[in-house]
Order: sequence, then C-alpha cells, then structure tokens
Amino acid sequence: MLTRRHLLAASTALSVAPGVRAFAAPRDPTPAGPILVSLFLRGGMDSLGVVAPVDERNYTADRPPEMRLLADGDKPALRLEGAPAGLDFRLHPEMGALHDLYRDRRIALVHASGLDNGTRSHFGAQELIERGIANPDQITQAKGGWLARWLAAAGSGNAPAFAAIPGVPEELAEHADTICAADLRGGMNLPGGKQAANVLKRLYGGASAVDAAARRTLQGIDLIDTRLRQPDGKVMPYQPAGGAVYEETEIGHGLASVARVIRTELGIRAFAVDMGGWDTHENQPPRLANLVGQLSRALGAFHADLHDRLDRIVLVVMSEFGRRLRSNKSNGTDHGHAGLTIVSAPHLVGGRIHGAWPGLSSDKLDNAVDLAMTTDIRSILAELMAGPLATPHAPAAVFPGFNPQHVGLLAT
Amino acid sequence: MTLQVDPRTMLNKLAFGPGATELHEIAKSGCETWLMQQLRPPAQDDCAARIAASKLHLKYVSKTPEAAVDEDRSLGVVAEPIDQHWKTLDKAVPFQERAFLRATVAAATLIRAVHSRWQLREVMADFWHNHFNVNAAGDGTVAAALPAYDRDVIRKHALGNFREFLEAVASSAAMQVYLNNRSSRGGAANENYARELFELHTLGRPAYLNALYNRWRDVPGALAGHPEGYIDQDVYEAARAFTGWTIEDGAGIGMGRKLPATGKFTYVEIWHDNYQKRVLAGEFDPYQPPLADGRRVLDLVADHPATARYICGKLCRRLVSDNPDAAVLAAAEHAWTENRRKPDQIARTVEAVVRTDAFRRSSGAKVKRPFELYASFARASGIDIVPTPPLIGVLDGSGQRLFGWGPPTGHPDENDYWLSSNMMRQRWGLLLGLSDDAWKAGASQAAPAIAEARTSEQAADAAHRRLLGIEAPPKIVHAVVEGIGLKPGMPFDTRRDALPLARRMLAYCAMTPAFQTR
Repeated sequence: MLTRRHLLAASTALSVAPGVRAFAAPRDPTPAGPILVSLFLRGGMDSLGVVAPVDERNYTADRPPEMRLLADGDKPALRLEGAPAGLDFRLHPEMGALHDLYRDRRIALVHASGLDNGTRSHFGAQELIERGIANPDQITQAKGGWLARWLAAAGSGNAPAFAAIPGVPEELAEHADTICAADLRGGMNLPGGKQAANVLKRLYGGASAVDAAARRTLQGIDLIDTRLRQPDGKVMPYQPAGGAVYEETEIGHGLASVARVIRTELGIRAFAVDMGGWDTHENQPPRLANLVGQLSRALGAFHADLHDRLDRIVLVVMSEFGRRLRSNKSNGTDHGHAGLTIVSAPHLVGGRIHGAWPGLSSDKLDNAVDLAMTTDIRSILAELMAGPLATPHAPAAVFPGFNPQHVGLLAT
Repeated sequence: MTLQVDPRTMLNKLAFGPGATELHEIAKSGCETWLMQQLRPPAQDDCAARIAASKLHLKYVSKTPEAAVDEDRSLGVVAEPIDQHWKTLDKAVPFQERAFLRATVAAATLIRAVHSRWQLREVMADFWHNHFNVNAAGDGTVAAALPAYDRDVIRKHALGNFREFLEAVASSAAMQVYLNNRSSRGGAANENYARELFELHTLGRPAYLNALYNRWRDVPGALAGHPEGYIDQDVYEAARAFTGWTIEDGAGIGMGRKLPATGKFTYVEIWHDNYQKRVLAGEFDPYQPPLADGRRVLDLVADHPATARYICGKLCRRLVSDNPDAAVLAAAEHAWTENRRKPDQIARTVEAVVRTDAFRRSSGAKVKRPFELYASFARASGIDIVPTPPLIGVLDGSGQRLFGWGPPTGHPDENDYWLSSNMMRQRWGLLLGLSDDAWKAGASQAAPAIAEARTSEQAADAAHRRLLGIEAPPKIVHAVVEGIGLKPGMPFDTRRDALPLARRMLAYCAMTPAFQTR
C-alpha cells in the first residue's frame, strides 16, 4: 500500500534544503496505478443545450432557436456520429476541441444519465452524487465520498488525493489525506519562509482537529511545493507538453494544476476539479457558450498535455442535473433531471453516445417536464472501475447495495 | 437567572473575539448586562463617522469607456441611497466603479467588525449575509445594489422579525437580480428565487420531499392544510406568485414605455400571473390585489415549522457548534416560534440560545472562518484597521470572499471545510501578513510592549497573554522561541529586531489551535 509515509521516506534525504530537492524531481517511482480525475460542473449543466437531437420535434417546439442547438445558421452545432435512434445529435458549436476528442474516440458521451432521485435541489443532488448514493438514508451504509471509497478499495486509503479546489469536496469526504490547491501557478508554499516553517513544525503536536490539519498541510507542502521550484526557490512556470495551452480560467487553472501534479509522478491516483457557473436561469445563450467553450478548450489542453500518459488516465465530467426542456421567459432554463456525462478513458468505445435515449415527448419526460434518467451515473463509474481503473472489486465496495447496469463503455 | 458564561467564550461567539473595551465592560457590569444591551442596539451605525473618514484606494485604466482613475475614495459612499449607486450601471461608467462598491462594503464591514460597539449585530449581519447570500463579485448589478442591501435589509433586520426580513430580502434589488426574479414573467416563470426561498431561505432542504411525492395532496398533512414539507409543485406555484415583483431597472413594459432606472422595488401588474395557485396546500384565488400572492407565500413559509427548525439549526451551528444538542435546538425553536409576531423575534431567539448549557460549554467548538480570524486578531493585537485593496484581496483569496460567494448557500459553516490544506496555508499567510503589516492595513499596537520583554520566553508569553488572556503553555513558548531560532533565556528587549520579532510572535500565537477556534 502506498502511503504518504512511504512517499516522504522516499524523499527524506532531500527534504533538508528546498533548493536541493528541486533537482531531484521526477525520480522514478513506484509504478503508478491508473489515475481517476473527477470533474464536477456545479450549478447543473443544461445538457440539452450542449448535446441534443436538433431535428427532434419536441426539442424544436419547446425552445426558441437561441435556446437550442441548430443544424444550420452562422454557427451550426457539430454533428455527432454514433448517436442513438437515427436522430441528428449535435454538440455545441463552441466545443470544437471536445468534438476532436470524440472523433478520435478518446471520449464517449452518456446522455440521459445522472442521479436516481427526483431532487431538483443543487445541493441535494450534488451531495448524493458526490456521496455515490441515491437517497439520504443510505449515508449510513456508505461512509464518505465515492472517490474516497474508491481510493480505499484500490488500496490507497491512506495515500494523498489532490483537489484543485479550495476546500475538500464531498467526493473526497472522509478521505484521510486530501491536498487542496486550486491553482499551483504560485506554488504551494509555506508563507513566512524558513522561520515560519520551523515554528509551525513545533507548534502542532496536539490531538485537535486544527493540529491534525496543520500537520497534514505541512506534509502536503513538503510533498508538492518543492517539486514545483527551481534551484533558486522560484516556482517553475508550468510547461505543458504537446503544445497544450491552458487558458486563464477556473477550469484552465484547475486542469493545469491536476496535470502538473500527475506529471510529478508521486503516485497520487485520485483528483477532483470543479467548474462553477452552470446555473443558467437567465440569459443563457451567451453564458452557456462561454462555459462550454472554456470547458472544451481546457479538456483539449489536458489531453494534449498528458498525451504520453493517457493510457492510465480516466476522466469523468458530471453535473448535478440537466435542465428543463422548456425554457423560461428569462431566456434561461430551470432545474431539470437527467443530464450528460462525459467520459475519457483508454480502451473506451469512444465517439459514441451511450445509454438509452428516452425521448422528449411529454409522456417520456420525467414528471412530464424534464429529461428522464436512463443511466445511473454510478453504473458509468462502476464500469470504469472494473475496466481501465483495474479495480474489479471496487464497485461493490464503493456502491454497496447498488446493482450497476451494463452501459457498454468498454471494448470487450 | 443571571447569565453565567465565561466572558471570553461569550465574546468569541457573540463578538469578533474579545477586545479590550468589551472585556472591561463585562468585568465592570457582567455578562448579563452586556448581552441585554447587545440584543437591542440603537438603529444608527456607531461606526458611521469612522467609515466616512476612511478611504480606500481605487486605481484603474479603462479603454471602454476611456477613463483613468488613481485616487483615494471615502468609504462614506456606502451610506448613499440605491439610485446613486445605480448610476454606475450606465454604459458610460467603467465596470471597475461597480466592482469598487463591493470593496467599499467589504471595507466598511471590516471596520465595524473590529471597532463597532455593537458586536452582536455584526456577528448576526455576517450570519444573515450568508443565509441570504448574494454574489456581488460575479455581477456588477448586484454590486450596485449591495450597499443598500447591506444597510437597509441585512443590518436593519439582523436582530428583528423574520417575516419582515424575508419581505425586505424578496423586494431587494440585490436578491431580485441575483436570483433572477426581476426577469420572471407570467407564462413561464423563472423558478430560481422561488426554489431557493424554500430550500435555503426558509423551510430548508430537509423539508424538500420531492423524491417521495409527486403530487401536492400526497405530502403528509397536505389535505389538512399543513404539509410537512414542499415539492416541486410548490416551487412552480410560488414562482408564479412572485411574477411581477421586480425592480426599476429600465426594462421595457410595453407600448414603448420603460421602467425608470433607480434600482428601487416595483410591481408590474402585466407581468404577474393572475390565475389561481396552490402553495403548501393553501389555495390562492385568482386576481388578487397587487403583491398579495407573493406576500401570502412569504407568510406561509415564514410560519412553517420546518423554517423554525432549519434556521434555528443553522443559528445554533453558527453560535454553538457543528453538532448542537437537542436541548439548545429546542430552546431556539421554541423562542423563534413563540415570538414570531414580535419585532425582536431574532434577538429573543439568540438570547434563548445563549442561555443554554450547550452555549456555555461551547468554547473552542468552532474553527474561525478567515474573516473572524482577521477581525479577532486585529481586535486582540490592537490593530487600528486601515482597509486597503491588498488586504481585501488577501481576504478574498483566503476562501471567504465577503459578498462574493457564488452559490446561494453562503460560505460553508462546517469546521472541516475551513481546515483543508489550502485553507490552512491561507490562514497562516493572513496572520503573517497582518502582523508584518504587509498590506499597510494597520500595525499592531500590542507589539511594542511585547518587544520590551526581558527574555525571549517572556516575549512569547506576553504575546500569548495578549491574544488569549492566559499564560502560554511551555510547549508553545518552546515552539515559538526555538522555531524562531532564539536561545532560551536570551535577552530580548535589547535586540535590534525585537519589534519585528514581537510582531511575528503575535502571529505564531494566533496560529495555535486555541486562537484558531472560537
């Protein structure tokens, strides 16, 4: 089992002088297992504004042209092969980079996927998805976040996880050791320099939550920060590979930080990233175009950057719910039900829209208003755990009492 | 019964930490008197003059429209009415002017947290700003509405009556913009405000029963007129009830006419969905008088028992601990419900919480949020705050961006959230920057006396006493003295760097678990 203690032991010789340690990076390592990156789109992505059958008559009837994807016009939506039911499914025109990954079969889409619970509450839905349960009463059977439970099932229960998020996300709740840093461009330093380091090392010997958090933080700094610095102590600017360019956006910084930590080869296997702003009740068209463009370009950069490691990286993009089929009079959409999950993994049946398409006529909608859920997001995660993540026993432990359905994401 | 609480516990919970003035007052006339005064503060802002005399620097260059500004501005602008601030929304005004309004409200808030005599009102204003969260950092229109929201809605009602408070929030420009009700129209209403009204402002998520029931009549108690909770149908209907509630934002109202642009609340009858509705099993007849539908929704949610439970739970988590016991919850709910028609309902509820055993024993149960850490350090170490843009920037980066939290939940209030490795680094950085006066935000007046200690141990002990009121445990003295690289017993006051070291000692003592919690 890889624990932080081992990681530290491997680098103790270097921990004396920060300047010296920087030379040592990436020494090689413990053979790394597959890596799981969970990207959460907070606020509820309007999946029907991102991937939709442009020729479906309920779709065209229930939304004015500016609120939906179009087959023609100045910016026609991008055609998706491998779509269900003979419909003309298309992708938002700002998502060219994602479209390329889809055509390369690196990614797959699962439409009408999400949470098996009727909640339309952001915070209720986020919590259930991040805890990997369908009902609040299951919280007693399944402790902590699903990503934390996967780490435990993968034998990495005491190894650090990395969240490019200011606070520990629910996905990693109750994981013993999550390093948080939303943006690594300034390093992950200890303010106050050597003097502060010397005081803080001595200050936190107690048993309180603050003591424990402080000790964990000092270890995290030791682990990550020194690997980001040049001999003179300055933070090395990150140089992504493959010609990748990360934008100055929340998701650009987030995925760049994740990629940078992956490249340090410290054996960290679980990563969490967030992107906010998807709650488009009002003035949706320009906002959504902006969001999906940022997301798509960041995903494009991430894949280009880590091109040499993609054989062991699994990335899942999810949101708490999709949005209402019928738009409101603020040119926005209200909270809905099923949404869209984006999967990137090796050995994937990529370039396909998976999952049963439930249809958009009102008798097929959930509560007659929202896209119905046909694929539980946990089935997607379970399939990835058993397949490319090489943890075949994990699904039963991560989702106790849940019977995953076959999604067909993986080449057999 | 007279209140028996350790004054430091009380000031950590009901104030932004102990300050010299409060400790003196309590020593003189007791906790009971202090509390009773705090529960009923005068309406006026005792920091108004200090705020008006304070300045915040504004510097920007704008290309569209052409403008360059590099000057100190008085914080007194926060006292102006909303129509003044609304003028910053004109296309001829650079966006930095709107963003600056958030910074001025944040600066005024820091000043009050450190200096106001009416500390409990400040603590409660912080509680309600998070409860009724708006994001002025993400939206210039919300920023233009923020000074009025802070002053006329949050502070005015922070210890008042919840039903009145709720209507003030519902009709405020800040909330109308933030949760989009101003653009909601009959026919396909915007549900954003109505949903968060139920889920976050009143009944709370535990009372959202949508996963259990699809029809209103199936909700237990509904047929008797007292549904236990709410479902999406209630949200849809409430959204209809609030159509027509809007603000004077210059929007067109048909026939070539437009609303004026003042940011003031107004009601537009032609946008209202006039037909009958059903909310929380209450039937609304069609064609009610102006505003009546929305007001009736507010009556229903304000009076619902789930609202008492939900808000009292949050209040106890803020004032007591992450896991308040059943007795304190019951005491709070009882006071809340009994006094729901009183003008000081909230003050009476706070009082009920303070008079419990749970409160008395709650010292150290909560991890301070960065704003509390900042204000309590400034108060304890005698920093006469000078708000500067870098100080506000650092606080923003600390994870607690005042009036700039994105989701409508407000900042998290669980200890764990504030103890991530990122948050810990920010906390340390905040204290070091403050003690070094890195942001020119005011130097500690306590440091010079500490610099006069004869030995390094005595200096560390003096810093600890200043912040925590008790002798420093030997372990802490050792950590500070040895960590800095001083020898025990070494003369301190004669050192040339005694003053900067004394400042650092204050910061290190503030990093101890005892000061990091309240």
